[in-house]
Amino acid sequence: MKHALPYLEKPDNVTPGIPLYYATSCGVYNEGFPIVAKVREGRPIKLDGNDKSTLSNGGLDAIGQASILSLYDVNRLPNPLIKGVETNNWNEVDKEVINKLKAVSVEGKKIAVVTPSATGPVLQSAVNNFVNAYAGAEHISYDPISYSGILDANEASFGKRVIPNYQFSKADVIVSFGADFLGTWISPVRFQSDYSAKRVPTADNRKMSLHIQVESLLSVTGTNADHRFTMQDSQEGIYLMSLYNALAKNTGATQLRSTGDKELPGNGIKQIAEALLNAKGRSLVISKSNNKDHQVLVNHINMMLGNYGNAIDINKPYLSSTYSETKFEALVAGLQNGTFGGVVFVNTNPLYSYHNATALEKGLDNASVVISTSMVQDETSSKAAVHAPDNHFLESWDIKEPLKGHFVFSQPVMTRVFNTRQVIESLNIWAGSQVSSEEGSYKLVKEYFANNIGGDWKQAIHDGIAEVSTILSNVEGEIENAMLSLNSTVDVAAIESGAKKTGDLELILYQKVGPRDGTWSVNPWCHEMPDPVTKVCYDNYVTISKPDAEKLGIANGDMVSISSKNASIDKIPALVQPGQVRGTLGLAVGYGRNVNQKMDNDLRDLGHNAYPFVEMPGSSNSMVITSGIKIEKVGGNYEFALTQTHDTIEGRGHLREATLEEYKANPKVRNEHSHHLISLWNEHDLSTGHHWGMAIDMNACTGCGSCVVSCSIENNVPVVGRDEVRRRREMHWIRIDRYYSFGGSNGKSMTRQNDVDAASADLYEDVEVVYQPVMCQHCDHAPCETVCPVLATTHSSEGLNQMTYNRCIGTKYCGNNCPYKVRRFNWFRYNMNDKYDYHFNNELGRMVLNPDVTVRSRGVMEKCSFCVQNIQSAKLKAKKENRNLSDGDAQTACAKACPSNAIIFGDMNDPNSRISAIKKDERSYHMLEEVNTAPSVVYMTKIRNKK
Amino acid sequence: MYEASIRKPLVTGNKTITDISDDICRPIENKPTKLWYLGFTISFIFLGIMGVSLAWTTWEGIGTWGVNKTIMWGWDITNFVFWVGIGHAGTLISAILLLFRQKWRMAINRSAEAMTIFAVMCAAIFPLFHMGRVWLGYWPLPLPNAFGSLWVNFNSPLLWDVFAISTYFSVSLLFWYLGLIPDIATVRDRATTKARKFWYGFFAMGWDGSARTWHRYEVVSLILAGVSTPLVLSVHTIVSFDFATSVIPGWHTTIFPPYFVAGAIFSGFGMVLTLLVIARSVLKLTDYITVEHLEAMTKVVMLTGSMVGLAYLTEFFIAQYSGVEYEQYAFLNRATGPYWWAYWTMMTCNLLAPQVFWFKWARTTPWFIFIMSIVVNIGMWFERFVIIVTSLHRDYLPSSWAMYSPTITEVGIFLGTMGLFFTCFFLFSKYLPVVNMSEMKSIVKSRE
Repeated sequence: MKHALPYLEKPDNVTPGIPLYYATSCGVYNEGFPIVAKVREGRPIKLDGNDKSTLSNGGLDAIGQASILSLYDVNRLPNPLIKGVETNNWNEVDKEVINKLKAVSVEGKKIAVVTPSATGPVLQSAVNNFVNAYAGAEHISYDPISYSGILDANEASFGKRVIPNYQFSKADVIVSFGADFLGTWISPVRFQSDYSAKRVPTADNRKMSLHIQVESLLSVTGTNADHRFTMQDSQEGIYLMSLYNALAKNTGATQLRSTGDKELPGNGIKQIAEALLNAKGRSLVISKSNNKDHQVLVNHINMMLGNYGNAIDINKPYLSSTYSETKFEALVAGLQNGTFGGVVFVNTNPLYSYHNATALEKGLDNASVVISTSMVQDETSSKAAVHAPDNHFLESWDIKEPLKGHFVFSQPVMTRVFNTRQVIESLNIWAGSQVSSEEGSYKLVKEYFANNIGGDWKQAIHDGIAEVSTILSNVEGEIENAMLSLNSTVDVAAIESGAKKTGDLELILYQKVGPRDGTWSVNPWCHEMPDPVTKVCYDNYVTISKPDAEKLGIANGDMVSISSKNASIDKIPALVQPGQVRGTLGLAVGYGRNVNQKMDNDLRDLGHNAYPFVEMPGSSNSMVITSGIKIEKVGGNYEFALTQTHDTIEGRGHLREATLEEYKANPKVRNEHSHHLISLWNEHDLSTGHHWGMAIDMNACTGCGSCVVSCSIENNVPVVGRDEVRRRREMHWIRIDRYYSFGGSNGKSMTRQNDVDAASADLYEDVEVVYQPVMCQHCDHAPCETVCPVLATTHSSEGLNQMTYNRCIGTKYCGNNCPYKVRRFNWFRYNMNDKYDYHFNNELGRMVLNPDVTVRSRGVMEKCSFCVQNIQSAKLKAKKENRNLSDGDAQTACAKACPSNAIIFGDMNDPNSRISAIKKDERSYHMLEEVNTAPSVVYMTKIRNKK
Repeated sequence: MYEASIRKPLVTGNKTITDISDDICRPIENKPTKLWYLGFTISFIFLGIMGVSLAWTTWEGIGTWGVNKTIMWGWDITNFVFWVGIGHAGTLISAILLLFRQKWRMAINRSAEAMTIFAVMCAAIFPLFHMGRVWLGYWPLPLPNAFGSLWVNFNSPLLWDVFAISTYFSVSLLFWYLGLIPDIATVRDRATTKARKFWYGFFAMGWDGSARTWHRYEVVSLILAGVSTPLVLSVHTIVSFDFATSVIPGWHTTIFPPYFVAGAIFSGFGMVLTLLVIARSVLKLTDYITVEHLEAMTKVVMLTGSMVGLAYLTEFFIAQYSGVEYEQYAFLNRATGPYWWAYWTMMTCNLLAPQVFWFKWARTTPWFIFIMSIVVNIGMWFERFVIIVTSLHRDYLPSSWAMYSPTITEVGIFLGTMGLFFTCFFLFSKYLPVVNMSEMKSIVKSRE
């Protein structure tokens, strides 16, 4: 803060120091995820899930959290561009656009409006207006990640081209073939909260769902599974058929084929079939495959199991992905042969993520006019004659309909940062409609609401959501679940021919939880957050199984080249990944962005673009490349930026896990023994007032990393970059420890690194994973407090372990003496320092800082404060309202962000609080209890649903 | 005066009292030798490296070092403990050996005390500059202040360090200076230049050599020896509390106080030997600092080396015997983990190597003793490195396990403190009598 001026005229409702909250929607999900934005003095500083909505239940994932920074991104285009020249006059832009488009129209060429497939109704009507205004205009959708396999399969099976609503909380048995539904697949935040609801057994209800994952790479979802089997993705169809046959044998349905069935290693198919048959109608089978034939087969399996109407709801489908590659492929061809003369890219960036970018680029060079509306100058907008930047989603009015009948509203939470205009307005203006320059999209949205949704407008905007039972959307009518029948047949021959082995190696392209599909990945928080599974920050890499690595002589970090028929990368590090099936390589998309970067930091030239590897075997694209994959060592070694370098718990007891069988017999399993602890010191008197505590349920935690990003935003945690992470100096106040154990399926799991190193490489596939989020434990006998020579860290009367930054002289003794290693030191000045050129280094980026939290200077220690600023404001609020604090008033950023409610925060002195109840739970224990640090954080034993 | 048929004379070469004054004052009264200039220049360059490295650290931050979220102390505190330990020989020689009337100490106590002072100066640099905000380095002092009711934390071993080290430094400095006064007066009395007469006269504080002055001097020496004696034990005991009172496996050990004290004396004698083997030949003092002296010191080295060796074995045994998995792992990890080379360097240099002093030849061959003294210094540096870094790098939660290696800045600071140490020592050898003349005069046979 450089200048502080009082308001000359105080805006309504704005009181300095008091935040305002607005319900709106998050734009990083095309679906429009319901969120609440916290606004201080006119600027949004934090996004959280909207807990009024059943879509989020209050949670929000890492990339959603991080998206707030895109509002304050210095890379945003401040003014529209005409032929690369900035103008501040939108009339000029409109004139230019309309003239150009008319010229194309007159020429008799076609014009394409390319939008993400999830437009929402208001943008859709703007697009419709546009299409009607220009002869030959066409609406074409484009998504980087395609779900057309599922869409086409449902069209074949039920005549409805939709993605059904998968309801994990209604399934007792979940079988996923490769679908990373907790990390990246379709709608992961919603799935996560839905899934975790059934994953937490209690002493009264000793039950949890059974999750079986069959996959090639180790995904976040796979790490959470009770049983995990490995398969090569090319064989998925065969395994699905084998499963169908195994089920059909029992249900009496006809077998798909008489020979050729295959069993998964470890008798997976048999076990899956047994589990599914035991839970008929209460199960769910999903697959990530983008192959229509596979998805039809999955539909048949689910139908046989009676899952429609229960865990799968086809009548209230998910509407945020309707992408079909066919039309976009036609556009690319049309651009090349000249049938298309103009393209308007509405917040789409296919030049980055389209598999055949060279063809598209050639086409765009042919086109008479290319218009882009993206917020930053990206790959596609570099080809645009006119760049008319859209507002940020936090500056926009909009309506989205992620689930049929479930509307989510966007409202601007601040005035525009730059001279941008919402694309809804732009399209309408270009279509020749009259758009009020003052009311703009507000009017359009309000009119749409009045005409199509109805009800109390103010309440709807206040809540941010509206659920309407009447059918308004463009989807065909409902079918009675009982009447659901399959019109499709399984194309056995196609599946068999697709599974033919054509090479030794397969390449699987996947999304990582941080950068996802890459659209929003030019954001430091997406990369400073380690990948939940590999714990690597900042890079993409080729993952390889240990047996393959040994065979090819590749060590972890060795540079390799990788190529397919269509694409190649000359130099990329290889990462030996436990749990990965042999014969398969993994490579994450979302990297290799090439945007006009104004900041000089590690996001420049970050990683390699993997989209060119995507193939189009039929009408759907495929991220499973089964032929022509070559990998070669090219010399050189790369040091990954890892936040965790030791992967096993060495047989220690800070992480406790048991099987459901054991838990059923004894809910106190693994916690029976308690240490006899004595102390030399007088105890702090915490009997009166509050005593803050936290519980971490390791059964609910999926390791997604949302809490890490949320905490960084709330507490002004600096971004330090790749090299500092390599030096083990990441600043996160909360981390998620990820531990592997090996050989668990044989009942004898190895947790010591020496044993694992000695065992054969085959064991590496058989991995079990536990996530353990660790933040300051706020010990009541804190080892850090006694050693500080200047009393810079002390105990509060409410049990908080406090840091007084001003008093800290930086001896770092506290950090050494912390058994949990949660203290972070400011090794350098991370703000206003050109060496750390992230958002802390520019005035715009610093707008995201939380004014309630000090930006720490160099040379002081910092750590989790239990979000003491939130505790304080909750206390003040309660005091003003003359009431006691109630449970949930004070929340930490991590607890609020967690989509699966794995983190519970509250007052341990309040007998009615959730935390008080959890403390008494049989599963609760203190980490490193034997050190007698008396932590305020309790962990809950991880229970796996296995024998 | 001091004669016994079974002992060899402490001063050889049939020196007279006049010879002593002449020999010891020679470096002060003459131009330094080329060797001195060479040594001083090299030391001064290293001192400059220290200045640059410290300035860089202060300007950029502690991030210029190799320390990280898991290993927050690295070479800094290793070097701190190393230098403090070195200082111990001086105090032991001047205080305890004085109380035990060990006359052989007389030839070496002056330089040993000087070494103490310079070593503590080097040591003090590390706790000061390892602070994130060195400009607030005075905050751990219990000063009345205008910050409100802010006060220091008397529970913190770092605060105890502040008291221990500052007391140690003050007492050592006082003791050293007191012992210098009669000799400074000798230089004054022999002075041929005005400047020398003035400055040595100023620092001689009006010494007149009367019986009363000598009496006062003897009394104060004895009192200071008495005051210093507990310091020999207390300083390194308190330094060891930095580790012993913590909860980190490998640090949390009750054996640390005696083990650290023994180690300190061990390393201190190592450094005294390094210096004296050079000094006696460069300054031509072989008649005063005889092989007898060296032999006596090698015996101390062997004894204390075996004591620390015993401590290493004891803590290893106790860790396994305790049944605490973290302790067990910490010690196994020292011996077999990624820093095994540091552990085995320590074991070889400190426990095994000094055993050669069972042999008379080894105890009486100066060049060999010199090599062994370097070995001891290396071993003791590694002991501190092993304790600090290998304990921290793998403590309770394997997720946070990390590795540490120093940066050029840290190496620069350490080499720089060597530069500071030797710069001081060269200046000392030029401007002050390196052997206590007045005491030496009491033990020569010839009285004329």
